[in-house]
Amino acid sequence: MIQVFNLIKTYGGGAPALADISFSVKDGEFVFLTGPSGAGKTTLFKILFGGEKYDRGQVLVNGVNVGKLSEENLFFLRRDIGVVFQDYKLLPKKTVFENISFAQEVIGVPSKTIRTRTWEVLKSVGLTPKKDAYPLQLSGGEQQRVAIARALVNNPKIILADEPTGNLDPEISLKILNLFEKINQEGKTVIFATHSLEMLRAQNHRLLTLNRGKII
Amino acid sequence: MVSFLANTLRTTGLNIKANRQVFMLSVATVAVAFSILGLFFLVHANLNALLSTWSKQVQLVIYLDDGISNTRLKALKKLFDDNEHIDSVHFISRDSAWKNFKSTFAEKSGFVAGLDLNPLPASYSLRFKEGLDRLKHIRQLVDELREGEGIESMEYGEKWISKFENFMIFLRFFILAVGGILGVGLVLIISNTIKLSIFSRREEIELMLLVGATHRSIKVPLILEGVVQGIGGVGIALGLIKLVHLYIKLQFQGSLESIFRGADLQFITQSFLWPMLLAGVIIGWVGSLISINQFLHSEDRR
Ligand SMILES: Nc1ncnc2c1ncn2[C@@H]1O[C@H](COP(=O)(O)OP(=O)(O)OP(=O)(O)O)[C@@H](O)[C@H]1O
Ligand SMILES: [Mg+2]
Repeated sequence: MIQVFNLIKTYGGGAPALADISFSVKDGEFVFLTGPSGAGKTTLFKILFGGEKYDRGQVLVNGVNVGKLSEENLFFLRRDIGVVFQDYKLLPKKTVFENISFAQEVIGVPSKTIRTRTWEVLKSVGLTPKKDAYPLQLSGGEQQRVAIARALVNNPKIILADEPTGNLDPEISLKILNLFEKINQEGKTVIFATHSLEMLRAQNHRLLTLNRGKII
Repeated sequence: MVSFLANTLRTTGLNIKANRQVFMLSVATVAVAFSILGLFFLVHANLNALLSTWSKQVQLVIYLDDGISNTRLKALKKLFDDNEHIDSVHFISRDSAWKNFKSTFAEKSGFVAGLDLNPLPASYSLRFKEGLDRLKHIRQLVDELREGEGIESMEYGEKWISKFENFMIFLRFFILAVGGILGVGLVLIISNTIKLSIFSRREEIELMLLVGATHRSIKVPLILEGVVQGIGGVGIALGLIKLVHLYIKLQFQGSLESIFRGADLQFITQSFLWPMLLAGVIIGWVGSLISINQFLHSEDRR
């Protein structure tokens, strides 16, 4: 359950990136988040996983007041949230397989589980042939799929996908969308940010539209 | 738990390997600083040993007037016996003093043997119990007896002992001050090394935080990295000091023995050894913690 009340976020002195927005997403919901570039989608995601402070408002994720969490306790929230970062954040010195394993290692998943889970998610995004490649040896779309695999690997309750198909051709994009829908059907909450009209039209999900920091 | 430990050790090892040049430089700096400090300790330990060997031999000799009365003699003896700080009281009569003197110098000088008159006074020779306050007790007794009836003079090498003691006090303060300054410098150096280490893995650490790693799991390997630098430096320094110690011992053994009157040349004593290692640990710990906390709580990350 994600609840946002009157959230205001301003970077430096400029116009607010998020100007008093309120919404909620129920457990197990699938929501599209859309809006033009600079509308505040990434900013909203960052605030949801505690990666960015905000000026005013209330943000509750699974009942936890994100703004009140100390740095030390953020890990607790983050283990429940899988994020597909818009800029992927893959580690260039680790292979695809290692990148995905790493996300499990650092939260203490036993090594046996790590191997099997890594295989599973790599298969689901269709990247097993590239498991030993380094991120910079992959195409943009392949890197994106590694980022998706990593977000899914720890079975988070909530998935925040920031333009997860921005670099993929329509056919793979739809496959990836279907993957997220499948995960959603397993009970996970998914917020899927995208500009793509094709995506938005492909499936009938609730739509949250941001424009200049406001929900319209 | 076991896997946390193994992971921590592996991470620390990888970090060190990835930054080995900076790491080595840091260890070397710690080693140099602690070698300097250790040499001071070495000097201190040896002078201390010297002082205690010497002051063990310090006796208070009280020379008596030739015309001292028997009652006064007994009163003095009782005073000494009752003094709980005195270990042994030894009376040397005029005759035995003269006999000792003659037997020591007889061969060397026929002149002495031929002397009829005994110029030597009788004396009490007092050995005080060992302890930090020994000199204080000697001084107390000397003050008490000064100008006393039947006492000609007293002797215990007061001047050089207090000079030596004052020097040792100065040396201790000096070591403390130098140690403090070096300590602060080393903390900054290690903190800087760890900062570089964090910086070189910044992306990785940030990702770790994003996917839900605890602060502890990030801190522990970095603290370990700092502590290894501290202990490693101290270890190397101890090795170097040991070499210096052996060298001096081999080179100057004979002449030193005469100075030290049988006291062996000291290596750094246990009472310095453990604090030095502990200092290495603390310096590494504090140094790395400074940089880790700076990074984990830096505003621009959130
Ligand atoms: N770190 C930052 N410092 C200053 N301004 C920022 C920062 N991040 C974002 N902004 C500003 O906040 C606004 C919202 O940015 P945000 O990245 O949330 O948009 P977005 O909807 O994700 O856009 P896109 O679709 O291009 O990814 C923009 O005007 C952007 O310039
Ligand atoms: Mg964005």
